Amino acid sequence: MRVLVCGVGYRFLRDHAVGVHITDTLATQASNGIEFEDLGYHPVGFTQNLQDRPPYDRIVFVGAVERGRDPATVTTIKYDHVLPPDEEIQERVGDSVTGSISLDNLVIVAEAFKALPEDVWIVEIEPADETWGDGFSPEIEAKLPEIMETVWSLTKL
Amino acid sequence: MCFKNLPIEFDAAGNATLKPGSANPYSYIETPAPTPIEDDPARMREMFARNGAVRRVDFDPVTRVAGALAFHTVVDLENRQVMETASMATLFRGYEIILKGRDPRDAIFISSRACGVCGGVHATASALACEMAFGISPPPMGVVARNLLLSVEYLYDHPIHLSLLAGPDFSEPAVRETNPEIWERAQNTRTTGRKMHGYEFMSELMTDLTPLTGKLYLEGLYYTRLAREAYVLIGGKYPHPQTVVPGGVSTTIDPSDLNEIMLRVIKYFDYGRKTAAIWDDIAGFFYEVNPKYRDIGTRPKSMIEPGQWDDPYAYDGTFANCDDWGRRRWAPPGVIVDGEMVTTSLQMLNAGVEEFVEHAFYEEWTGDGQSQRFATDPSGNPLSPYHPWNKETIPKPTATSWKEKYSWSTAPRWDRQAMETGAYSRIYAAALTGGADFRDSPYLNSTGHSMQINLPKATLPNDPIEWHVPECWGAFERNRARAYCILYTAAICYDNLLLAYDLLRKGGPDAKMSTPYKIPKDHQIGVGLWGAGRGYLTHHMEIDNGVIENYQILTPSTWMASPKDPFGNPGPYEEAVLATPLLENYEKPEDFKGIDVLRAIRSFDPCMPCTTHLHMDDRTITREIISCACGSDGPHEH
Repeated sequence: MRVLVCGVGYRFLRDHAVGVHITDTLATQASNGIEFEDLGYHPVGFTQNLQDRPPYDRIVFVGAVERGRDPATVTTIKYDHVLPPDEEIQERVGDSVTGSISLDNLVIVAEAFKALPEDVWIVEIEPADETWGDGFSPEIEAKLPEIMETVWSLTKL
Repeated sequence: MCFKNLPIEFDAAGNATLKPGSANPYSYIETPAPTPIEDDPARMREMFARNGAVRRVDFDPVTRVAGALAFHTVVDLENRQVMETASMATLFRGYEIILKGRDPRDAIFISSRACGVCGGVHATASALACEMAFGISPPPMGVVARNLLLSVEYLYDHPIHLSLLAGPDFSEPAVRETNPEIWERAQNTRTTGRKMHGYEFMSELMTDLTPLTGKLYLEGLYYTRLAREAYVLIGGKYPHPQTVVPGGVSTTIDPSDLNEIMLRVIKYFDYGRKTAAIWDDIAGFFYEVNPKYRDIGTRPKSMIEPGQWDDPYAYDGTFANCDDWGRRRWAPPGVIVDGEMVTTSLQMLNAGVEEFVEHAFYEEWTGDGQSQRFATDPSGNPLSPYHPWNKETIPKPTATSWKEKYSWSTAPRWDRQAMETGAYSRIYAAALTGGADFRDSPYLNSTGHSMQINLPKATLPNDPIEWHVPECWGAFERNRARAYCILYTAAICYDNLLLAYDLLRKGGPDAKMSTPYKIPKDHQIGVGLWGAGRGYLTHHMEIDNGVIENYQILTPSTWMASPKDPFGNPGPYEEAVLATPLLENYEKPEDFKGIDVLRAIRSFDPCMPCTTHLHMDDRTITREIISCACGSDGPHEH
């Protein structure tokens, strides 16, 4: 069994660092078959790396995504592998190779190039504070144990 | 005498001094911007009378560029002309503010985050600024390691632009949709470079430029991977290296590292030949179809290029000697005005730079030129109050107005003239340098009007490769020059790899990777002058008490996405699009796609700030780039 947990985000952007914080923290509990990775790099690179590795049974993405929900809302999604139109994929590849780091780009680009396994989960956190700096907003800080538990539970097949 | 507009003259010994007789020599009288068409009732009435042939077309965002760029146009579809343009950088980069008060070494790692492609060169420009301020320089191997990093970084950058960003504008779907008659002709037009790229007909080449499925698109993605793999062998991570430090590189290199890099770099020998042949064919075909394609994105041949890839035995990190070590670079510095090289001096290049904010969302910081931190640079050359060493970043968001303020980009100017910059300005300046003034290299020969590239044979025929300074200047020539820059860069990388092997073999102090240093506690200034893959980049730094007092980053796209300046001149994108004929095939105004405008803009390889989200006071000055597109089988919120 191989599970990859990917933290997505920007380290210097307060709540947008929550994904990589989760994988940094859980990485100490990595064991046989469960890997944690900082995916603060571009989705095409990740896709190419995935294509080189033995297949994973499950991939879990975790990161902050702004979708207008209440701050610190945690949304867990089983990915259905439905892709947007080609034109949008093309734009996202362009965003990706020029440095935009986002959970959506990562999932869409990796799927478009057929790098993802069937079993993919996404844990999204609605950010409350997007200013530059370290640490999290109080809302996210309060939710960290829950997010951690949610992600950890998804490492168990 | 390289300055026509700045109040600088030169004495008999060639020293730059301020022209006498003015108490405020850098002051200027602002030329009012023209009234935008939308604010002019008479012109608006005329537009309505023309039944929709004149219309406002905004490209927001301009896609397939790095980061957030919006572009406003008013086009006359009847006469196939662009009447009005405005280039808008829609994000604020706050790095100058973030860096104040920090350890100067932090700038290397923080400024790297300014870009997701050029992170390595931002880090290096910071390291160079630190070296000048600290009074240190790397051992030769440290310089060579930097050269290797920043050659493979550009071998990442150029394929991205040509295959993934600009290439789709010339692909089958784009050409079929916007100029079906050209597609028809492409199917019957044989290529000239088939020996190199393998395509018999132009239509086959265009089909393979198709996004996501075209072989050239996918090949471009593959070559970005090779370059990244080579990069991390020294840099640790891409695009934000972990090993760039003041005084060199904080890692070791052994022959196996160099072998791993070599294995990847030699693949660009063929890829570079093939790419040059492809873009030769694209330019040649479109010019033949309609000579007016030469005018897409045209503007004066005025360019600024700080150079890069230092001579390991010439670079000493000092401002005093930067003219000498600058000219020894594999890509020498140069300022080209209307096609003529006016200076190759890094000191004059630096002295000529100013930034203006009349049409940008910033406050003027000089008090109308009355105050400045530095009247001269460390060598005594005059500096403008608007020079980056004197600049303060004071954001002031306001409503967008085409006549007043409309961009987060300042308006950088050299000698008060708009300049463009890119991979092409690098090969252009190197080609013009010519003869004995160009450093010795077994793989490059600058003739004064061309650049000859002589690399060892890989698998393709080893025909001579030569990029010629073009007669016309526009979008097609920018792309063509960038294509030749793949080979040019590979040659420099190869040259430095051989140097690295040699240094390793000899050992001793020259083979060390870095130099020890202490951060000075007194007041110092430094500047990192090192062009990014996409052109001009400088980091100006001032430190005091061991921390950063002021920091200014000036990037290629700040030069080129610039709004109008106080002298009434448009920025390069604005100027190039204004000169662009609309050659697209449309019958009704509603069918207009703007492909020629987009070809013009994308040929500059725009790189807008894409990693910063900041808030100022209570006004949000960020823009969401992403939108939800993930499928789900039912979200679970908690």
